[in-house]
Amino acid sequence: MTEEKKPEERKRRRTATEAASTVAPMVKAMIADVLKAKEEGKPIAYSFIYCCYDEILRAMDIVPAWTENYAGICGAKRDAQRFLERAEAENLSRSLCTYALCGLGFDAWREELGEMPPEPPWGGQARPDVMLGSGQMICDPRNKWYHAAQHYMPDVPVYDVAMPWIPFEDDYDYREVQDYYVKYIVKQLRGLVEFLERHTGKKMDWDRLSEVVELADRTWDMVIEAYELRRAIPCPMGTGDAMNTMVPLTFMMGTQQAYDFFRGLRDELQLKIANKEGIIPDEKYRLLWGGGLPSWFALTDFNYFNSKGAVFPAEVTYRLIEPIGRLDLPKVSDPIEHIAWRWTKYWTYWHDKARKRPGSHPDVEHLINYIEDYTIDGVVMHEAFSCRSWHVGLIWHLNQIKKVYKDIPSLILESDIVDISTYNEADTRARIDAFIDTLEAVKSRGR
Amino acid sequence: MPEEGAGKGLAAADRYYQDYGFRARELKNQGRKIIGYLCALAPVEIITAAGFIPFRIKGNVNEPITKADTQMETIVCPLVRSCFDMALKGNYEFLDGLVIPHACDSIVRTYDIWKYNLGLSYNHFINMPHTDDDSSLEFFKAELATFRKSLGKFAGKEISDDSLVEAIGRHNQNRAKVRELYGLRQSEPPLILGAEVSQVLIAAMSMPVEESIELLSSVVDEVKGRAGAPAKKSARIMVVGAQVDDAAFIKLVEDSGANVVADDLCPGGREHWSYVEVTKDPLDGIAERYLRKINCGRTCRQMRGTYQEFLEERFGQIGRAIKDFKVDGVILYLYKYCDPFGFDVPAMKSYIESRGTPVLYLEDEYSMSTIGRLRTRIQAFLELIGSR
Repeated sequence: MTEEKKPEERKRRRTATEAASTVAPMVKAMIADVLKAKEEGKPIAYSFIYCCYDEILRAMDIVPAWTENYAGICGAKRDAQRFLERAEAENLSRSLCTYALCGLGFDAWREELGEMPPEPPWGGQARPDVMLGSGQMICDPRNKWYHAAQHYMPDVPVYDVAMPWIPFEDDYDYREVQDYYVKYIVKQLRGLVEFLERHTGKKMDWDRLSEVVELADRTWDMVIEAYELRRAIPCPMGTGDAMNTMVPLTFMMGTQQAYDFFRGLRDELQLKIANKEGIIPDEKYRLLWGGGLPSWFALTDFNYFNSKGAVFPAEVTYRLIEPIGRLDLPKVSDPIEHIAWRWTKYWTYWHDKARKRPGSHPDVEHLINYIEDYTIDGVVMHEAFSCRSWHVGLIWHLNQIKKVYKDIPSLILESDIVDISTYNEADTRARIDAFIDTLEAVKSRGR
Repeated sequence: MPEEGAGKGLAAADRYYQDYGFRARELKNQGRKIIGYLCALAPVEIITAAGFIPFRIKGNVNEPITKADTQMETIVCPLVRSCFDMALKGNYEFLDGLVIPHACDSIVRTYDIWKYNLGLSYNHFINMPHTDDDSSLEFFKAELATFRKSLGKFAGKEISDDSLVEAIGRHNQNRAKVRELYGLRQSEPPLILGAEVSQVLIAAMSMPVEESIELLSSVVDEVKGRAGAPAKKSARIMVVGAQVDDAAFIKLVEDSGANVVADDLCPGGREHWSYVEVTKDPLDGIAERYLRKINCGRTCRQMRGTYQEFLEERFGQIGRAIKDFKVDGVILYLYKYCDPFGFDVPAMKSYIESRGTPVLYLEDEYSMSTIGRLRTRIQAFLELIGSR
C-alpha cells in the first residue's frame, strides 16, 4: 500500500557557498507561506517557472504555489514514490513527466481525503484557487498537467498562457517575425491579468507591476554578475550549489528577497576569489553541466565529482537569463510589453552568433561559449527519462559540438528528476569514475 | 489513376501501404518535388498550393530502431524515433524538404535533429499555439503567412490566393471521400474491415491529393460492389489514440474477434472529419481548421462554461462516434512517452465510461514484439463486453 511507504533517511548535502546552504530553509518557509496564505484566504495559483507571470502574480498579491518545486521537494526528500504510484493507479502512465505525476498523485489523494495525505513533505501542497498552465513552448506537461488536475478539482479554473519563442531557421531571420511574437505574448499576458482579476477578485496594480519588473531586471543582472564570477580558477561555486540557488532565481523573481540573495552571493564569491578559495583545494577538471535537470534525490553526485577533483563552474540548466543590457531591448513603458520583449530577446540571444559558425545552432553556440568562457575540460549532461522538454537533443548537441567546434570529453548520466527507482548509485558513480579517467587521459595527452 | 501507379481499389491501397513511398518515388523520378511532413497538423493545403507533393513520414513497427538512437534519445516517443530511423536508413531519400508543425515535445524537440541530419534543401518549423483563443488564432495565421512566404521562395514563385483556394477544395474533397469510406463502417456488420480502412488512409498519405481522391473513390466503389461483407463479430470497437500509422494494431483487434468500426486517430476520424472553410483570406480558414477544428490532445481548449461542458468539448467527438457507429467498447491505445494524450487518460476514460461504454487502456511501444501481450488484454476485454 502506498500509504505505508516511508521516505529513506538521507544526509544533507555539503554546499560550497554559505548562500546555497540557506536555500533549504528558504524553500521550507516558501511552502509554509503558501499554506499560511491559504488559511488566511489569500488566492493561491498553481504555477510553473519560466512562464513570465511571476511578476504579474507579485503585483496582484496572488500567491504562487510552484508545483514543479513541490514535486522536486518530494523527490529530494525521497518521498515521491507513493505519489507516483497513486498517479499510476489513476491510469497515468509512468512514462509521463514525473513532476506532473507526483503533483497529480498528491492532488488526487488530497482531494479524496479532503485533507493533506499523511505526513506530507514540508506540510503539503495547498489546494489552489486557479491553475496557470503554459501553452508553449517549454513542455507539453505544462499545458496538460493542470487540465488533468481538473479531473480531481473540477471547480478550479485553468488559464493557459502561451509563451512561444522564435525557432532558429535558415529561411528567415528572427527579426522578420519578432513583432508578431511579442504582440501575441502581450495579448496572452493581458488575458491572464483579466482571468486573474475575474477569478480572484484581485486588481492589477500597474505601478506596482512596473516596479516589480524593474526589480526583476536588476535581479537578472545581479544573478549574471554573481554567476560570471565562477569563471575564476579555482572556481568558488559549482552546479551543485546552483541547483540550490535556482530557488530564488526561479521561484522568487521580482522580490527583494531574490535580489538581496544574489547580491549576497556575489559578495561571498568575490571574497572567496580574493582569498583564492575554491570549491575544493585541488581543482583538476572543470566541467560544464551541459543540459538536463538534476536528479533531485542524488545531488550528492556533485560532491562525488568534487571528491575526484572535478568542479562545475557553469551550467545551462536554470540559467534562462542574460544580462538585460546585452538583450537589445526596445524602450517601452508598458511593463507587460517589456516582459514580452525580454522573453523574446532572451530566446534569440544566441541566434546571430550561431549564424556566424557554419553548422552551429543557438543551443550549441551557447555551450561552446560556456566551454570557452569558463575554461571547460568536459561536458556532463543528465537525461531524465520522464522529461522530453529538457532532455531531448543532448546527444545531438554533443555531436554538433564535435562537428563544428572540437572533440571534448562528455558524459550523459541517465536517471530521472523525481523517480528514484530509475537511479543506481553504484552504476552512476562507476560511470563518473570512468569519465574522470577519460579526462585524465586527455589532460595527460595535452601535457 | 495514372498508369504508372499501382492501379485502383483495395489491391492498389495494399501495394501503396506495403511499399510506402513507392508512388512518391515514381513522381520524384518524373521531376516532381516532395515535401515530407510529420503529424496531421501540417497544413498540406499550402504545400499542395506551392506545387509540391505533401508526403506524410511514417514509421515502421516491423523495423527495429537502430540508427536513430545514435542521434535521438530513447525517451522520445517511439513513433517519432521510428520515423526518424526510417528516414536515416534511406527510406525517404526522395524528399526535397521537411515541414514540422509544433505538435508535441517529441516533435518540437527533435526538429533540429531532423533538420541537421537529413540535410534537405528546405526545412521549416510551424510554431502552432497550444491554445485556441482569438490571439492564438491570429498568431497562428501570422505563422502560416511566414510559412507561405518561405515555401513560395523555395518554389520560386509566390503562392497565390487562387492556388490556395484550389488546394483547399481538393483537400476538402479528399476529406469528404474519407467520410464516405467511414460511412461504410456504420452498418451491422460493417462493409469494410478496420484494417482495410487503415491501410487505405495510410496509403493516401503518400501521394498527391488528386490521386488520393481517386484511390479513395475506387475503394468506396469496390467495397460497395463486392460480394460478402466482413463477418459480424462479437463486438463493435472504437480505437482512440494519437497517431497510429500502421494497420497492425487494428488487425490485431479484429483478429481477436471484434469489428473495428470507428476511431479517433491520425490518420483517421480526428484528422479527416473537419473541412477548411473557404474564406476571403484563405489563411483564415486554414488557421481555423488546424487550430480549432482538429480536436487533438495537443491543443488545449480554453474552458468555457462548466467542467462537464468542457469535457464535452474535448471528448465530444468520441461520444458522438460511439452513438453513430453503435460502438460496444473503446480501446485507448497510446504509445509510451506521449504527454499530450497520456495526461488525458483519466478524464477521457471516465467520460466514456460515464456513457456506459467500457474502456480498455493500453500503452504500447510501437513494435510488433508486444503483440502477444496486447492480444491477451484485448481478448479479455472482448470477453468482458460479451458478458455484459
